Amino acid sequence: MNWKTLHRWVGLLLGALVLVLGMTGALLAFDPVQQAWRARPADPGLTVATLAERVARGVPGAEEIRRLPSGAIVVFGFDGEQAQASYVDPADGRVLGAYQASALPRWVKNLHRAFLLGDAGRWGAAGVALGLGLLCASGLVLLLRRMGGWRHMAGRVRGTLAQRIHTVTGRVLLAVLFLTSVTALTMSASTLGLVVLDAGVEPEVASVPTGQAALPVGQLAPLQGLAVQDLRRLNFPDAADPQDTWKLATRQGAGWLDRYTGQRLAWQDATLAQQAVDWAVVLHTGEAAWPWAVVLGLAGASVPLFWLSGLLIWWQARRQAPRTAHNSTLAQADVLVFVASEGGSTWGFAQALHEALVQQGHRVHTAALEQFQTTPATRQVFILAATYGDGQAPTHARLALQRIAAAPVAATPVTVLGFGDRQYPGFCAYAQALDEALRARGWPTLLPLECIHQQSSQQFARWGQALEQALGAPLPLHYVPRLPPTTALALQARQDYPGRPGQPTAILRFALPAQGGLAHFDAGDLLGIVPPGSSVPRYYSLASGWQDGFVEICVRQMPGGLCSTHLLGLVPGGSVQAFVRPNPGFALGRSRRSVVLIGAGTGVAPLAGFIRRNEGHTPMFLYFGGRDPACDDYFGPEIAQWQQQGRVAGVTKVFSRIPGGGGYVQDALRRDAEHLRGLLAHGALVRVCGSQAMARGVAQALDELLAPLHLSVQQLKAEERYAEDVF
Amino acid sequence: MSKPLLTALAAACALSVPALAQARQVTLTTQLKNYGGDGAYLAVYLTDAKGAYAGTLWVAGGKAKYYKHLSDWNRLSAGDTKRLVGVTGASVGAGRTLKVTLDLADALIDAGYEIRVDASVENMRDSPSEVRVPLSASQAGKPQAGKQYIQAVSFQLQ
Repeated sequence: MNWKTLHRWVGLLLGALVLVLGMTGALLAFDPVQQAWRARPADPGLTVATLAERVARGVPGAEEIRRLPSGAIVVFGFDGEQAQASYVDPADGRVLGAYQASALPRWVKNLHRAFLLGDAGRWGAAGVALGLGLLCASGLVLLLRRMGGWRHMAGRVRGTLAQRIHTVTGRVLLAVLFLTSVTALTMSASTLGLVVLDAGVEPEVASVPTGQAALPVGQLAPLQGLAVQDLRRLNFPDAADPQDTWKLATRQGAGWLDRYTGQRLAWQDATLAQQAVDWAVVLHTGEAAWPWAVVLGLAGASVPLFWLSGLLIWWQARRQAPRTAHNSTLAQADVLVFVASEGGSTWGFAQALHEALVQQGHRVHTAALEQFQTTPATRQVFILAATYGDGQAPTHARLALQRIAAAPVAATPVTVLGFGDRQYPGFCAYAQALDEALRARGWPTLLPLECIHQQSSQQFARWGQALEQALGAPLPLHYVPRLPPTTALALQARQDYPGRPGQPTAILRFALPAQGGLAHFDAGDLLGIVPPGSSVPRYYSLASGWQDGFVEICVRQMPGGLCSTHLLGLVPGGSVQAFVRPNPGFALGRSRRSVVLIGAGTGVAPLAGFIRRNEGHTPMFLYFGGRDPACDDYFGPEIAQWQQQGRVAGVTKVFSRIPGGGGYVQDALRRDAEHLRGLLAHGALVRVCGSQAMARGVAQALDELLAPLHLSVQQLKAEERYAEDVF
Repeated sequence: MSKPLLTALAAACALSVPALAQARQVTLTTQLKNYGGDGAYLAVYLTDAKGAYAGTLWVAGGKAKYYKHLSDWNRLSAGDTKRLVGVTGASVGAGRTLKVTLDLADALIDAGYEIRVDASVENMRDSPSEVRVPLSASQAGKPQAGKQYIQAVSFQLQ
């Protein structure tokens, strides 16, 4: 069964009704709390006999004593002709006030259990409860799949805001909601008569007049041995009917007592079914346990969160759903493009590839990966595959790997392009698995596996250039991502460095736009800049947070780079169009653990941002690798100043292009192995920013020095202690 | 406040008779108080001169699981396997009136029989034998008040 489809459709069809049940349920949860708050329960040692004696004295005309689940004692009776129901103090039988079953109007409960529609509505509500159960069950499967199993259940949740709300709320409340659904179904089954609860017909019993006066209630032996805690209900015999009996209902069952002798005339045990339903009622309503009622109320009130975030997730996925123009049939096509995508974004890349190939005169067929097959007409196959969670296949493509392993091998090249996020330990793991499976089966390939980080259009365009060369034909790939709204940022100041030969560099500081328009950001988040004449943004790591009051990035001139040329040509007062993109895996949270910051070149920018904000003096250790202190010692004076202020505990700088400069940053790490091992053994966090080659070198050096601790960079990543921001 | 009538025609149970000549049509009116609760379950039944169950006239409320709260009727009628055949309807809301028309054998009238009504409301107290009205010609048209939920019960003989 496809759990995602089930989850989506049940959610869309029944979500609004679940919302009604959740909201009314949250309201109803106030009752047990309110009841518990005003209840005056009996002392633990109090017997029913004593209680009834006090009631008989304190409330003339009493007919029935009930112990509510909250522990409160309510007495029903008559005051003349007027029926009365009052709370009574079990300590002295004094009337405390009029009894009220609920503080809420009755329609709330009837809306909750029957949508105000009587019996038909009860079936409806039971159906919705079943729907909620299905949502919880499928939700758990999806949650496990997303988090990568039970062991990673407590891990950090990534994704869009809607996805995070949905997942985090689900992680916390799924079990409660599931229990609510099961208990609701149990209660419905008993109300709708699907299970029989009764212990059978009530016995025909009568008190036998002995000529003596009836016994005072305090002297009834069975009541003397019964604690008030076990009482449900005690009915007084009718004063006018000499044969009437005492009737007793307890947790365990029902009994009848002779009014003259106190002898037990009959007893019926509560059935198992009745006890099960009693438990279901307690678990569903929280009566008798107000803290649980609070939990239930919160679970009910969380339903709007699930509903809205779920709708949003569905809507976002729908908007990104594939609409491929000029799609040839499988049989006609000479190029096949297969897509595996979880959120739908990979389809956008597939469309760009599809269109470029069609413009070159190819007949292209694009389809989902689980439909993988080739025909005699096929000349080229491309697979664009995203990775889901901790290295798994996107849901729809779950069986694709088996299908590929079973497909007959042809001489057609099959090229794999992976999509993923380096923050995940299993970056592009699914694409790698596909690629390995294809090579193992003997499929040729046009290009080696390439993995695109965070949907980078630049990386995709570079892959397109490699493809052009391999195909020997021009193939301009235009992937246009959907851009968030941009804001104009005006340059406030710039600090120029010679950088590398021919690649001058500058630290650019923009003013925070006075009228707002820029999302809140922290150092380590990304600033997307859209250069004039382009629709593709370039991302720069932020060296400041919004609290600093300015937006700072470090930009190096890329040869022929449209965006860097524009940025480095800016004079104070000039402006760029920009937006903020969160980089949640990389930005530092509020942890007090030590941090090892490792950066090279302009990669020091976000690390400098972390240090700048470190007023709390968290132990931070910076390792910086440059080429020449005269050219690229970015943030040099600032870092020195921050070190004096105690915002950075240790600074190690190496420069690779000067004699005695210390080599590369990974060399510095190896020299400092002992110190780093100590930090990492005690749970230090690691942030690495720089080029891909540098990040690989750093990971290798750290793996070497972690080996004696039986740790690895992979493990640190899985524990979310190690994050890279590479370009 | 308007109080719509709930009218029903009961035509079953051991009390109705095949030969119309020996039957009287009886209209039983039960008016409920505004007791401020959900719809009431009511059992209307006959007992003979010895207080033994003689038959069920009407049961308002459809869920068998609540019948134990109509405790007198439930106990007395336990042996009557056909006690519900053709004589059930919806529960009766607070302030409303239940009107039941039935054919009763002539022999039942003025013979010591009694009409009894058990009543029960969710979250409120059960009220077995809430009203007892002797089935005699002299009682016809005289309203009889109930203990808790019923404003008045009366019957008319045609």
